[in-house]
Amino acid sequence: MNWLLIFAIMTGALTLANAQQPIPVVKPATDGKVWGALVYATNNAKGFVGSNEQAPADFADIPQRLEKVFPYQRFEILGQHLQDVFREYESWVVPTKDLFLKVDSKGPAEGGGMNLHLQFWRDQQVLVKTDAVLKAGSPLFIGGPKWREGQLVFVLVLQK
Amino acid sequence: MKTPSEDHDLIRWLDGEMTDAERARFSTRLAADPDLKAEVEMMQRMSSDLRAHLPAEMTVPYGDFFNSQIQVRLAQEEPLIPEARASWLDWLRLPTLITATAAVAIAGFMIMQKGPAAGDSVVLSIYVPNASVHARTFHSDEAQATVLMLDGVEAIPADRKIVGYYIERTETDQEVAMTTLYGKSGEVVLVVSKDVRNQPRLLSATPRG
Amino acid sequence: MPASTAPEPGEVSDSDLVKRCQAGDTRAFDVLVSRYRGKVYAMTYHMIQNETEAWDLSQEAFIKAWRAMPNFKLDSAFYTWLYRITHNVTYDWLRKKKMHGDGEFDDSRTEHRVAAGAEAVPRNEPAPDIALKNAELGKRINDAIAKLSPEHKQVILLREVEGLAYEEIAQTIPCSLGTVMSRLFYARKKLQEMLKDAYENAL
Repeated sequence: MNWLLIFAIMTGALTLANAQQPIPVVKPATDGKVWGALVYATNNAKGFVGSNEQAPADFADIPQRLEKVFPYQRFEILGQHLQDVFREYESWVVPTKDLFLKVDSKGPAEGGGMNLHLQFWRDQQVLVKTDAVLKAGSPLFIGGPKWREGQLVFVLVLQK
Repeated sequence: MKTPSEDHDLIRWLDGEMTDAERARFSTRLAADPDLKAEVEMMQRMSSDLRAHLPAEMTVPYGDFFNSQIQVRLAQEEPLIPEARASWLDWLRLPTLITATAAVAIAGFMIMQKGPAAGDSVVLSIYVPNASVHARTFHSDEAQATVLMLDGVEAIPADRKIVGYYIERTETDQEVAMTTLYGKSGEVVLVVSKDVRNQPRLLSATPRG
Repeated sequence: MPASTAPEPGEVSDSDLVKRCQAGDTRAFDVLVSRYRGKVYAMTYHMIQNETEAWDLSQEAFIKAWRAMPNFKLDSAFYTWLYRITHNVTYDWLRKKKMHGDGEFDDSRTEHRVAAGAEAVPRNEPAPDIALKNAELGKRINDAIAKLSPEHKQVILLREVEGLAYEEIAQTIPCSLGTVMSRLFYARKKLQEMLKDAYENAL
């Protein structure tokens, strides 16, 4: 095993053990902020896991929008993550450990928004890599794997 | 010393650019002139080596990025015809395009249902490593959202419990390529690092209740 | 005609894709890019022998092709047309490089010498005892190609790599048939001179 990995894991473990003493870091430059969420789409609300997560007020209409695209009526936000998009470093949007996104900024887009390189991961496997222009107020829905009686959908929105 | 026209004869013979009559005449000359024959043979050998060492087709490094960069640049170009926008139905009339695109995209294929408006997010390129997964993208006017649909992804087992997080803040340590994710109350929820194969490793503190 | 103009059976034809491009459809263009990027890249790479520059020039060629799409009348195969654009982009780049003082491939003096009789040029290198290995010959060929002038490089690649007929080379450059033959002859003579010891010692 690579020494850097061992170090990273050990440092990670220490960080977890000392939650009140986060490692001192300088905040890198950012190009914007995104909100990412993993949503369980189903027709049977009884199957909800009971997360009680609510979307931020700005994105409160996400379930209504999802309903226009996916053949389900009920949407439960399983996890959510508000993330700075670093200019020179990778950013991670991790609403769950099962499905998450790596985001690399490729700079501001012409006419507003951001050019991004996205990688959609499922555990240790990348499902899709994509270049995208994300505009504020225009969410990106990634239709992911089926789960139980429905489907998991990743939602990514650029904050205004 | 050969005349220029004889020089041309030599390469025309070599490149198969002679008529049958010319070829016959040149062959007679070749038989009578050992120097010319030796030169032709060397030229022939060189031609064959050139072809062997200079392939007509090469693998483009970062091929998918090559395509996506072109699409990015096209998106910044003035449209060829401002109103021109292929409709979804037009696209469907070309069913074999799916085959074509799948063949060139290594794995997976992309279909866009319609072009984006200025304020819409847009997916410019797609790369799907798993051949059994197909990706398509379109913009939904009704939902005012851009969709990247992955078909054929293996379902997550029903008995797998999916634990969601609420991440509000992140700190990143570039020295060790590690990101710490904090929750609502400032608690550490997760640490993201990468392993030797550059794959993400997620270490969670305690599952959120 | 380049052998690669026809797509595989079952694929959309180039001309259908071109028509869609002309209607502003960038996705159709993406298919064409995938279909021909390997050839375009190989051509630029052989001309300039630098991966990064070849990559960028190939991008440039495709962007220029996109811009020129409305003017393409489908009077030739798409690849022949794309080939001409790629060729012009690369050739311009080489000419500019030459104008900026890099005389690496200014072989005009060599041309004169070869024309006067290449056989008279003495060999300074002692003959190695064994034949050159394949890889070594490949390197020698690449080095020799790199030393050719853009004009000579151009005709050699169009003929030997792309397999174009003289008439097609003349149209691509464009120049007269006589110029094609003349350049091809001198280009081959120069290569022959540069590779002479390799062949003689390998024989």
